[in-house]
Amino acid sequence: MSDSRLTIAKRELSGLRKEKTILLALAIQLFIAAFSSFLVVGLVSLYDPGSVEGYSIDVAVAGESADDLLAVASRQDGLEPTRYSNPATAYRSFQSGASDAVLIANRRPSGRVSVQATVPDGNVQTTIVVVRLRETLRAYERAERGQLADRLESMPLELPPEERSNPYYDFTYTVLVPLLLFLPVFISGSITVDSITEELDQGTMELLRVTPITFGRILDGKLLAAALLAPVQALLWLGLLSLNGTQVADVPALLALVGAFSLLLTAIGVAVSLLAPDRRVAQPVYSVCALALIGGTATLPNGPVNTVARLAIDSGGPETTATVAGYGLFAIGVYAATRWLIDRTDPAAL
Amino acid sequence: MTKRLGSLVSLRRFTGTLRIARWELTRSAGGLDRRTAAFGLLVLALAGGAVAAGLAPSPGDVALDRNVYRVGVGANSPYYEVIAANGALAAKPPSADALDAGEIDVLVRDDRVLIEDSAKSRAALAAFRSATESYNDRRMRAEEDEIAAFPVGVSLTYEDRTLSSGASGSGASGSESSEAGQAAAGSDRAAGAPFESLVLAFAFLVPMNFVVQLYGSSMLGERTNRRGELLLVAPVKPTEIVAGKTLPYFLGLAGIAAVIAATVGGGIVSVAAVVPIGLCFLAATFLGSMLARSFKELTFVTIAASVFLMSYVFVPAVFTNVTPIALISPLTLVVRDLASESVSLGEYAFSTGPFYLSGLVLFVLGTGIYREEDLFTQRAVPLKFLDALGARLRRYRSVALLSTLFIPFVFIAELLGIAVLFALPIGYSLPVLFLVIATVEELGKSVHIYAGYAQNRFETGWRTALLLGALSGVGFFLGEKLTLLAQAVGLPELALGRAAFVPSGAGGIELLALALAPLALHCVTASISAFGAHRSKRGYLIGLLGAIGVHAAYNLTVVSALV
Amino acid sequence: MISVQGLSKRYGDFSAVVGSDFEVASGEVFGVVGPNGAGKTTTLKILSGLIEPSAGTATVAGYDVTEPAMRSTLGFLPEESPLYEDMTPLSYLHFFADLYDVPREVATDRIDASLSRLELEHRTRRLGDTSKGMKRKVAIARSLINDPEVLIYDEPASGLDPLTTNEVLRFVAELADEGKTVLFSAHNLYHVEDICDRVIVMIDGEVVARGTVSEIRATHGTTEYHVYTTVPVEEKTTDSSRSSGNQLDGESETDPETEADAGAGTALDDGTPNPAPPMRNGAAATTVTEEGSTERYETVVPDMAAVEELRERASAAGGEVVDIRTVEPSFEEIFLDIARPSAGAGS
Repeated sequence: MSDSRLTIAKRELSGLRKEKTILLALAIQLFIAAFSSFLVVGLVSLYDPGSVEGYSIDVAVAGESADDLLAVASRQDGLEPTRYSNPATAYRSFQSGASDAVLIANRRPSGRVSVQATVPDGNVQTTIVVVRLRETLRAYERAERGQLADRLESMPLELPPEERSNPYYDFTYTVLVPLLLFLPVFISGSITVDSITEELDQGTMELLRVTPITFGRILDGKLLAAALLAPVQALLWLGLLSLNGTQVADVPALLALVGAFSLLLTAIGVAVSLLAPDRRVAQPVYSVCALALIGGTATLPNGPVNTVARLAIDSGGPETTATVAGYGLFAIGVYAATRWLIDRTDPAAL
Repeated sequence: MTKRLGSLVSLRRFTGTLRIARWELTRSAGGLDRRTAAFGLLVLALAGGAVAAGLAPSPGDVALDRNVYRVGVGANSPYYEVIAANGALAAKPPSADALDAGEIDVLVRDDRVLIEDSAKSRAALAAFRSATESYNDRRMRAEEDEIAAFPVGVSLTYEDRTLSSGASGSGASGSESSEAGQAAAGSDRAAGAPFESLVLAFAFLVPMNFVVQLYGSSMLGERTNRRGELLLVAPVKPTEIVAGKTLPYFLGLAGIAAVIAATVGGGIVSVAAVVPIGLCFLAATFLGSMLARSFKELTFVTIAASVFLMSYVFVPAVFTNVTPIALISPLTLVVRDLASESVSLGEYAFSTGPFYLSGLVLFVLGTGIYREEDLFTQRAVPLKFLDALGARLRRYRSVALLSTLFIPFVFIAELLGIAVLFALPIGYSLPVLFLVIATVEELGKSVHIYAGYAQNRFETGWRTALLLGALSGVGFFLGEKLTLLAQAVGLPELALGRAAFVPSGAGGIELLALALAPLALHCVTASISAFGAHRSKRGYLIGLLGAIGVHAAYNLTVVSALV
Repeated sequence: MISVQGLSKRYGDFSAVVGSDFEVASGEVFGVVGPNGAGKTTTLKILSGLIEPSAGTATVAGYDVTEPAMRSTLGFLPEESPLYEDMTPLSYLHFFADLYDVPREVATDRIDASLSRLELEHRTRRLGDTSKGMKRKVAIARSLINDPEVLIYDEPASGLDPLTTNEVLRFVAELADEGKTVLFSAHNLYHVEDICDRVIVMIDGEVVARGTVSEIRATHGTTEYHVYTTVPVEEKTTDSSRSSGNQLDGESETDPETEADAGAGTALDDGTPNPAPPMRNGAAATTVTEEGSTERYETVVPDMAAVEELRERASAAGGEVVDIRTVEPSFEEIFLDIARPSAGAGS
């Protein structure tokens, strides 16, 4: 009799296909992907001095300690320091546009060097200027600290070497991929709620119930259709991402995780629709549950979002495998609980 | 006398709206069976408690990137503690084989740090480096000799060079001071918005989704099983029904925004910035519920509106202090308000104007099909949308009016195009942007004309088509002048911004000709589309493509000549 | 085929059905009638397995109604016809065929047959765009998709125009002729009367009357005899006998003066109006026509004894009874007769 469930599932899917609104879901995701790529590319170009090729900022340096600072600054990438004899001339070069920033370094009586940095306000360049100045000043600080080493109880650790890299490399994996994978999952649960509350609202559920299929199987069919949709969409996105040059590792494990959450959220969708068979209540309640399960667990070390990130970035291991299995079992448990709830529900009372 | 009568009538209309609003409130509370309502309240209360409990630990604990990079390091290495203290890095046993096999990304062996030649390994190294920096800072902070630990102090001043050409420092618009080693030298400014402000700003958006879900269900509920028929025959106007049914949700959104503002320390500016977002969200949901055929369709429409709006307002806010483009989002105002920065009236108008206007236009379009023949019929969403447009075409001059009304959407779409494209090298992004702008504008000028033809609202014949095109062009031209507002806020500092808003060329040699040229352009291109539309659907598509081509070519010529 | 014993359904304090008992034989057309809220729909839903009874048992085709296997033998048509508006009649019917596990070819033949018989056009148009009558026909076709032995139809003609109503009812009658057992509910009694073998009448959840239509008529209605008599014309004196009005109220309307004038034609002992010919001003003789040399009267009397009386009086007056017609009460009237006191007490 399992084909009766398939019949229901097929009809659900064909309904979605006919309404064509599922295209909207894909459009949403494309939008997210485009907007996020803007984020990634934009952020990288803004923050990473190395990623804005061939661009160097001119810095006017003056003050008593200018020479020490200059020595450090001239070793930095993307920075052209120029020594000015006094702060006033340095400022003039900034005002005239000859320099992008001014650094005035003076040693205070306490022994600390005070640096007054002046940067232009209100444009995109400001960010790059500030980021590069910060790098330089930190390097300067390390140099100064080295000179005062005898006054310190412990020496700071030597920094690992600097390599040109994308500082937002992990953004794609920790935000974009989870978003693209979990949004379809969320939508799947949501349409399960819609499908059930709509049939109850319009009275078509009754007609299904007079056929030889049990109520549980009807709901199973609806759940099946929605739960299958998410992994298919996920696969589609992973394919598109890899076409776009973003390599995503461990696709089978990712799909298993998406499948598990798809089952979990559709089962919750079914349960919520049985407990609150009015869409006005069921949808918000479902959304809250889904947000709590996916968003609310963001602080947990093995939360679903983090697990997706680790799998996708190729840092998976036995721990993540166990986590995925755990989520799978959890989903099956929730599904079993939902089945129990279905058996205890009198469909005539809905 | 007539004035008194007028106010009486408007008062009557208002009480009609209020009556429906009250009815909507009592019905949505009373229409649910007790068990359902109790269950809903229980879950929402639980969720509220969970959120409150979850917010208690600082939002900085979000661990999306926990253990994404693996570093091979011995337990006795001084770097072991660095790794252990950093969430994104996981310590693994050091082994060269593991590095080769890709089981670890960075290997720390004695004093040497080895990586693979891969983007991930390099990113891991960068994370490792900054983790070591933070580790050092923490260690130094524990030192007794503060001067030796942090021998450099920094004060950062932002100075507006365009304003202060004379006295030095007089144009300073903000300054921060800190120790260089605290990694705080201007970091807040550099990183855009403070993370906490962003999270708090997001807190304004989350409850909106739930209110909107309720609203959408209620609106679609009027359409299923012909429930709304009784209201339609009642002696109230559709406008009053829509206003009345919307009012409770709108007030609810505003109330929630006020409560959140009071909780997180935002002021009146925060509420005033969030309200138009809510209005726009409600309007999009309303139109969606007028177009949707089923609950499922409504879900897709609502989620689409939600994701679009959330990204549109949230992502730019990340760049609050980085680029003026951030101002396209009202949420930027919230972030600035939370940081106790001032917001000028002009900035408020620039950020929220498109939202107010779009919200209003969406309501106008939706209310047009709040009538018997549209409310209970089942048609595909795009057809319904054309119906909604067609319902507004009463006279020829409605065409011009609609073109003007579409300006906020055109504006939003263009801003979005700029935001998405501005990161690309300008050589690529400009032509693409021209194409995007031309497409958006031509669609905005012609889609209602097509809708009118599809519903036989216009006389046939090419003369009418050309007239309609000219009307649409004039309406659009007038509306486009509104976007000059954009220049006031300094957006055109970006070359891209200029391309979007001055394609019609302000400033140049022959001013008059240049001012009229865009008018002519809009009329001509709109007429091309209209001419296509008067023949058939396929004709419209061909006409539209032609119009887009002409428009893009014009922009490219003008801008390359002027900029 | 259908057997119901002591069937009850309670919702909290409210009893929708109270101790129903009835049997429906194979091939029978069985009607359940009653006013709104009488428990008809609840009874039908219990029989379709949609609602579980609070007490009592019901079996359909040998299965207890709570057994899922029962549903394969059943075709159910609810009062409203909610269909999936995005589907076409064909895809909709095939969907249900799959749910009933009907093989594809069989389903195709069956769908084709029933749609042709129902004269349904536009088989590939979206159901959302079709008329109410078409939707009803599709719903009926759906109820036949599994070739059920038993059909349970709730108000099959609800909301349809008279023409479609007739089509649908004719179709139901045909189904019964083919051997299907049909149980249906109606409040338009005219339908019941036309095609039902037997009916039960439900009021406030209780079965208040049962039997064939004529049995119920015998118990609850009043049959009337219209007796036509002719009397020679010269007997006629006044035209006050052209009194009109309801024969039932005839007695009370009888004018005391003409009553006194009536002579031999006094009222019968049992209160039956006098037959027309002897009583020249007979109150009950409602219709008088002149046909040549005779006058023709129509008198309405409640039983055969009164008819006999009339005959005697007519021949005494030199006339004769020319025709006797039996007029049975319409089912509508019987129904009102049963329902009135109860409904009045109930509201």
